[in-house]
Amino acid sequence: MSNTITAYDASVDAPKPHHPVYDYDSGPPVDRGKFAIWLFLGTEIMFFTGLIGVYIVIRTGAPAWPDPANRLAVGITAFNTFVLISSSFTVVRGLQCIQQGDKSGLVKWLGLSILGGALFVGIQIYEYIELFHLGSIPGKDLFWSTFYACTGFHGLHVIVGVIWLICVWIGALRGTYTAENHVRLELAGLYWHFVDLVWVLLFTIIYLF
Amino acid sequence: MSDHEHAGFDATKIFIVLLVLTLVEVGWSFIPGMSKFFLWGGLLTMAFMKGFLIFTYFMHMKFEGWLVKVLIAPTPFLILVMIFALMPDIGSNSRMDHHLTDMADPETGQIIELGSRDVEHGDNGH
Repeated sequence: MSNTITAYDASVDAPKPHHPVYDYDSGPPVDRGKFAIWLFLGTEIMFFTGLIGVYIVIRTGAPAWPDPANRLAVGITAFNTFVLISSSFTVVRGLQCIQQGDKSGLVKWLGLSILGGALFVGIQIYEYIELFHLGSIPGKDLFWSTFYACTGFHGLHVIVGVIWLICVWIGALRGTYTAENHVRLELAGLYWHFVDLVWVLLFTIIYLF
Repeated sequence: MSDHEHAGFDATKIFIVLLVLTLVEVGWSFIPGMSKFFLWGGLLTMAFMKGFLIFTYFMHMKFEGWLVKVLIAPTPFLILVMIFALMPDIGSNSRMDHHLTDMADPETGQIIELGSRDVEHGDNGH
């Protein structure tokens, strides 16, 4: 038997004229990146469900639970919530700008979003430092353990989001995004809005309940 | 090529509603003498309203196709399963051998040391 590999011979190997040639995209009926980011956000929902859900369950079962207003700075955290919601709004405005072809508007609004995210992280770090000075460390009691677990993991997500937005912002500075091509901006925006959504729930459940 | 025709919405209005809800939430939590039912009910309602607005408009879920909605659809059910599956064990302190936490003075938040409760059925496995 011959082991020779023969070259492609169009007269032999090409589809016959009566054979249909299909030319279609067999992927999902949505942008692949958007499909992937929503799949990822689904896993993130379950991740935070684990944290927040267990917090709810533990608190329900605890014989007593300290009043968060006595232990936490609700006022400054409410301001932090305002900062994060504002940064989510500025991402939406940036997206609306690029959808109309306004690249400079995108750069401006995205820059404000990054500043908002960085301010949020800074205030949270400041809060942690103050609490550490007061001896309120993770492991001191169940309240602090659950507090640091929930807000700490969320804070890490915010840091990742800020880094992601910075990468997108650099692309915006280079003029990468246009009215027709800005999917990567949308994907970063989806993640950022999700982080904001989680904080909205965290703030209510941990700080206000 | 976009997946769908972008449907506009007034982001500024949504943003203002979110801010107002946040302010009302904070004020609500400080209303003195409110029963826990109304306190928690009001806070949860406002939190979910805010989450719904962010999810629907900022995350564009309202304008997404069926595939994305199907992706996320199981999560509310799984969230409830997660919480209510754990509730009978961890959420019911009377069934634990030991208190989950030291008692905290409800007024000052100071921890009052508590010893372990007597185990009902002998060896607690430690």
